[in-house]
Amino acid sequence: MDTLFANLYGELHRTARRELFRRGGGLTLSATTLVHEAYLGMSALESAAFPDRARFMAYAARAMRGLVIDHVRRRSSQKRGGQFEMTALETTLAARLPDADALQDVSDALDELAEFEPALAEVVDLKFFCGFSFPEIAAMRGVTERTVQRQWEKARLFLHRTMSDEAKPS
Amino acid sequence: MNAARWRVLSSHLDHALDLAPADREGWVAALEAQQPTVYRDLRALLAEHDEISDDPFLREAVQSRPDVSAAGHRVGAYTLVSPIGHGGMGTVWLATRSDGRFDGHVAIKLLHLGLLGRAGEARFAREGQILARLRHPKIASLLDAGVTTMGQPYLVLEHVDGAHIDEYCTHRGLDIRERVRLFLDVLGAVAHAHANLIVHRDLKPSNVLVTAAGRVKLLDFGIATLLDGDGGAASTTVQGGPAFTPSYAAPEQLTGAGVTTATDVYSLGMLLYVLLGGSVPSRGRTPAEWLASAAETELPRLSTVAPNGPLLRGDLDNIVAKALKKAPGERYASVSAMADDLGRYLRHEPVAARRDTLAYRTGKFLRRRRTAVGVAAAVTLVMASMAGFYTARLGTERDRARQEAVKSARVTELMISLLTGADPYPSRNGEPTVRALLDAGAARLANDLHDQPAVRAELMTAMGRVYQRLGAYDKAAPLLEQAVAQGRVSGADTATFAQALNDFGVLRRERADVKGATPLLEEALSMRRRLFGREQKDIAVTLVELGRAYEDAGVPDRAETLFREALSMRERIFGDAHMETATSKSALALLLWRRGDLAGATPLFRQSLDTSRAVLGDNHPNVATSWNNLGLILLDKGDAAGAEPMFRESLAIKRRVLGVSHSTLAPSLNNLAGALREQGRYAEARSSVEEALRITREQLGPGHPSLATYEVTLARIELAGGDRARAEALLRTALLRQERTTPGDDWRLAATRSWLAEALLRRGEYREALPLLEAAGRVLKNVPGRQGREAAATRARLAWASELVHPTLLAHY
Repeated sequence: MDTLFANLYGELHRTARRELFRRGGGLTLSATTLVHEAYLGMSALESAAFPDRARFMAYAARAMRGLVIDHVRRRSSQKRGGQFEMTALETTLAARLPDADALQDVSDALDELAEFEPALAEVVDLKFFCGFSFPEIAAMRGVTERTVQRQWEKARLFLHRTMSDEAKPS
Repeated sequence: MNAARWRVLSSHLDHALDLAPADREGWVAALEAQQPTVYRDLRALLAEHDEISDDPFLREAVQSRPDVSAAGHRVGAYTLVSPIGHGGMGTVWLATRSDGRFDGHVAIKLLHLGLLGRAGEARFAREGQILARLRHPKIASLLDAGVTTMGQPYLVLEHVDGAHIDEYCTHRGLDIRERVRLFLDVLGAVAHAHANLIVHRDLKPSNVLVTAAGRVKLLDFGIATLLDGDGGAASTTVQGGPAFTPSYAAPEQLTGAGVTTATDVYSLGMLLYVLLGGSVPSRGRTPAEWLASAAETELPRLSTVAPNGPLLRGDLDNIVAKALKKAPGERYASVSAMADDLGRYLRHEPVAARRDTLAYRTGKFLRRRRTAVGVAAAVTLVMASMAGFYTARLGTERDRARQEAVKSARVTELMISLLTGADPYPSRNGEPTVRALLDAGAARLANDLHDQPAVRAELMTAMGRVYQRLGAYDKAAPLLEQAVAQGRVSGADTATFAQALNDFGVLRRERADVKGATPLLEEALSMRRRLFGREQKDIAVTLVELGRAYEDAGVPDRAETLFREALSMRERIFGDAHMETATSKSALALLLWRRGDLAGATPLFRQSLDTSRAVLGDNHPNVATSWNNLGLILLDKGDAAGAEPMFRESLAIKRRVLGVSHSTLAPSLNNLAGALREQGRYAEARSSVEEALRITREQLGPGHPSLATYEVTLARIELAGGDRARAEALLRTALLRQERTTPGDDWRLAATRSWLAEALLRRGEYREALPLLEAAGRVLKNVPGRQGREAAATRARLAWASELVHPTLLAHY
């Protein structure tokens, strides 16, 4: 699956760049749209490798996580690098932007979680990194919304616990 | 937290989180003695869980944060200028028209991504167009709505320069009468929207602006509704930030019940409370406290909390309290009614909650019906079922015309008051509001109409039936039981009584009480034959229902006779391309299929599917059933890959139409699991059938016999691809169930015995396996279809078992 994963990452990356270029490089990048687009693009090519959409989404969500973190990292470095003349309003909004390092911590903890509860990690990828809603995720995997919510709660608890453990000096 | 500890805790955590907070405490405490380490860890985790429940940690998706670099970009025909606000729904931008065709500014709301799925985009644009038609001088117009090519949904709104109404009142130092006058302008605008069947759902000071010239402008009309995507109201509030604001939300919004024009009346009451009293009444600190308080207690009266309380005592107190009633039906019937009362207050006339006349309500109801755009299909179903029995009754009892007139007036009055009291608008998937409507009706019936037992019995039957269709068996049973009891008291053959017998019989059969169901359905059948003669549509209905009961009871010959009679009756009454005929074909085909007659079943299934799709469209539970059945045929022919998409289609329709936890999802999930198992996809198969088990337990109870079927399916998956000990345990459970509920010579029971023997043989345990196989072998016949396959498998297992018994003997040969 590793080759496949690499291909997928590449495809998502290409789709993202193409879309951003087409839009003139600014407006919010929609992960949801991106993943859908990539699916349409790839399902024609690699249908054999991905027996169903749910499995595709699982991989795509993981790939998307990497892409999102890259994107945020690039954006915040641009801001720090002074390419932007920030107005007061933008400063307050910029404070709301996620911190790439914090996201990387989440991502590391997620990898740990994925080793023994992959389904939980996947929900976080889909929800937090890709912005899919609970009903969408439930439909994607053919489970109830309640199941997804439960998994989300557990994953969040695990991540919170893991990340606060690591923050403490041991 | 290391992986090993987490693994131990994971299932405990599932269980604990499933329990209500009140039960959780006791359950966790009980762990202390048995597993002290687990107890300590779990306790710590649950404490952390509670601690972070309000924490923003990971709450907001990375992708939904505002992007500040969008200035200068074009959205539709507009260019973004600068951001002017940011809220739960998205970012608001000041924008101008790109082509310079008009100079003024507009406000553009860029909605959070992730609020809409792909399917939601078309709906969003369509409903945006409807809202754009709402024109009123006091409502900020929605000029356009759309989705950019990147999937970014946006709204173009009239830009309003003004202050929030509460701030305006404070800054200008308006007195009470001036505030009431200003508020009347708000009511006028809301009334106009309601007349166009658009509810606001999120009325609050920040959505009511007043310009420097003192002109009121309402923002965001219908936008909460617009955003209520396919996931349902509850999920939108969790997902995209609240689609309403808790402080101003009506109890029914907090509890997730249906939203109606009465919801806006409540929020307006709250707005008036704030304008007159100066602050939002507090209902608690946490969401849980809010909910409890909103659902259980009335708010303190305005005059008791406001600093200027004495001035508000009396009329204004009463008016605010009436708008803020917990039960939507007790509030002002409309925004205009509230405005009328405030008008009377200003003119110093006596304030009176006017009692609606029947004519008034009928008129309003009919007007609404005629113009309603999004009235849920399920409500039509309620209407149709009520109108249906009403017509039938008129036909059979027309000689008792005078009594009828009184009766029908009562029925109509009750129906109308129900439907106006629980306005179905703007439900999307129907169920919550239908439930609200039914619950209101059932509550009224408990206390009402005792002087009209026949009318009462009719309404109970109708409501029981709708509850039953919604899968709410616990609500349906007492209603139908009382309706049957009423029929026995009156003692005469009537269409109503026969209907109640039929429906109660169906309910019992669906709850697996075949013994209780059969006599009721037999009684319904003979009564209908006496009432209606030889051929009539209701007779055919009972024929099919009774046939199903006999099929469940293990008497397929009798079932086939009844199905065939129903089918030919329907072909004559309705013709070939009619839904009733299609349903009959489907019932007969299923029976033939179970008996292994694939050749007989296939064309009937196909015809049934074609008719269903032609008549009902692609999105109907009956179409879902047909897909499911066709899938079964393919699966039986050994084409698991071909069957899989059919089961998935069936599930997709059922989830869309009936929700994700309806009991009829279970058979399709079970079948899908079978198709996946055949393809070696065990993990997917397992989660599919586990969902079937869970849904069935939740919806039909832990003792339902169909659980045995699903347990066997799961056991077969475990045998093929996993945990054999689990398989054995499941098969034992399934066997116990079937021994309790099915006759001893039923082949399905025999098949379970044989599978249990298989599990035993795999660990070399032939002593227990042999008698099971012998018992199974006596029952299973060599007929085509599943039973025959189980018979062949059983023979193979017997040979295997003998080999284990006499290994040396066989070695000699």
